Amino acid sequence: MNLFISKDDLIRWLELLLRERIIIAPIRVQGQTMFQPISKVEEIMFDFDNTALSSKGWFLPPTETLFSVRRDDGQIKLMPATVERDAIIFGIRPCDARGIALMDGPFLQVPSDTLYQERRNRTTIIGLACRQAQPECFCTSMGSAPDDPSHVDILLTEVKDGYIVQVVTEKGKALLPKGWAKYKRKMPTPPQLKTVPTKGIVSAIREFFNDPYWERLADRCLHCNICAYVCPTCYCFDVRDYPDKGKVERVRSWESCQSPGFSLTAGGYDPRTTKGERLRQRFYHKLLYFPERFQEVACVGCGRCGKACPVNIDIREVISDLHQLAEAKSGS
Amino acid sequence: MGLESPFIPYVATLKMSTQLTPDIKLLSVELKDPDTRAGFDYKPGQFALLSAFGEGEAPFGIVSLPGQGDGLEFAVRRIGTVTRALQELEPGDILGVRGPFGNYFPLEDYAGGNIIVIGGGIGMAPLRPVINRILQQRDDYQQLLIINGARTPQDLVFQPEFPTWRAAPRTRLELTVDRGDEHWKGRVALVPDVVKELAPSPNNAIAIICGPPIMIRFTLSVLKNLGFKDNQIVTTLEAKMKCGLGKCARCNIGDKYVCQDGPVFTLEQVSQFLEQP
Repeated sequence: MNLFISKDDLIRWLELLLRERIIIAPIRVQGQTMFQPISKVEEIMFDFDNTALSSKGWFLPPTETLFSVRRDDGQIKLMPATVERDAIIFGIRPCDARGIALMDGPFLQVPSDTLYQERRNRTTIIGLACRQAQPECFCTSMGSAPDDPSHVDILLTEVKDGYIVQVVTEKGKALLPKGWAKYKRKMPTPPQLKTVPTKGIVSAIREFFNDPYWERLADRCLHCNICAYVCPTCYCFDVRDYPDKGKVERVRSWESCQSPGFSLTAGGYDPRTTKGERLRQRFYHKLLYFPERFQEVACVGCGRCGKACPVNIDIREVISDLHQLAEAKSGS
Repeated sequence: MGLESPFIPYVATLKMSTQLTPDIKLLSVELKDPDTRAGFDYKPGQFALLSAFGEGEAPFGIVSLPGQGDGLEFAVRRIGTVTRALQELEPGDILGVRGPFGNYFPLEDYAGGNIIVIGGGIGMAPLRPVINRILQQRDDYQQLLIINGARTPQDLVFQPEFPTWRAAPRTRLELTVDRGDEHWKGRVALVPDVVKELAPSPNNAIAIICGPPIMIRFTLSVLKNLGFKDNQIVTTLEAKMKCGLGKCARCNIGDKYVCQDGPVFTLEQVSQFLEQP
């Protein structure tokens, strides 16, 4: 059953929610639209294409302390980081919500990553359906849609005079006040997207592991790692100790398989020394290894990587190229 | 109440630190909490992540056997910041232990067979509990041939145990070095060449091998020429690791995570990886 609220009511509702919870929403930061905790509801951008970074950083922050080490009187205490408050992510696009669902695979599998799990448990996700597609969007080719409610708790869809409210989960239902009107009209038609030939990609990619394609493609890669940072499903991380004034923090931070030394062991052994090997790892992890372990391609079709890449390495192009390689092979 | 984070190590005390070679120390470590200590069970081939608080964490094979001696033992080669900090710890100092992680050498499955253990340098570390477990249950196995190589005589890691290994029934220890010194009367040869010379029979045999990648590569081809099948050759892979939990993706090789699917693999398994280590 769908409900309807006016924009004014939506703002009043968010103001109420903000009294008790953290709300993470798209706001304007130095010319970019970013998910950040808000202090006032007026900061929220209701009309935006998509955020520069996905909201994965709420669950897996760019840097976070895993625990701190305290020493008193020769005794040592390890103080785990905790999640203090309930939160709401407001305004997440269906593609990014699917990104979170994909991250659940590695992070919730036993033994679960408890910080991630607690944030996940304590966060309610309010999605915002896309009424317009961007040139880089291809979510429909990746098993999602501009109006896909599958991975949010509540999905809002903007219409002329307010928002349609789809209540998806019990968690979402718990946030709603009583008395909102039912929405009885037809749902608006979602925007049409260009398609990318993703069908059969998991079996196609397997054949080209040793193809010179990867070194050729990587020739222009600057290993700047921006693809991994903007990606809603890239989750590789680094862990380091930071000593500060007698206190030590063990800190986790985002890392990327494109970094030289990503897989370099202390002994000097590195299975991936060239840019081609590292770029191949990125696409194989998304299109083959992740599907083999978690039954889903690790791409949501948000198009951020292609848009952000300074040298135009675009996963849509890679997928098309792989199909072409496969065709050429079967034709020869 | 928060959930218990899998990133929090057990607090442990360094009981003893013994210089084994110029750059390798044997650390004997005791978990502080008696219940954790009693419940910490592991098998030959499994590893743990050791923390030198303030420097970081790194993976090490557990080189002791459960119930033998006191505490957990690790052979740590000084090679980076964490290993240097671990080597600088003194008895009584605190360190962190997470584990045990990974799979293990399925020694029970090899019962009744001949075992060839081939190790180079610090690669002997994960093989030491294999040898000691076989010696502990000596009647369960036929011949045990140990081929241990190192750069120089003083780099042979577990020298204090050589007499015990040599004295064990149906056990042969063959040492080799890349460069000898004035006291060395043994072999000066590369491990693959020694394997070739000794030519162990593949009949009812398992070869367990660990060492530098180049040693492994050449030894594998020797073993294959001797008739060893891929499922008769077992190794343990080294990989960069940050979590040990199948999450950080640093040890990801092909679709495998060395920390969870490994580190022990047969050559048959490794040869099916899309990406070759």
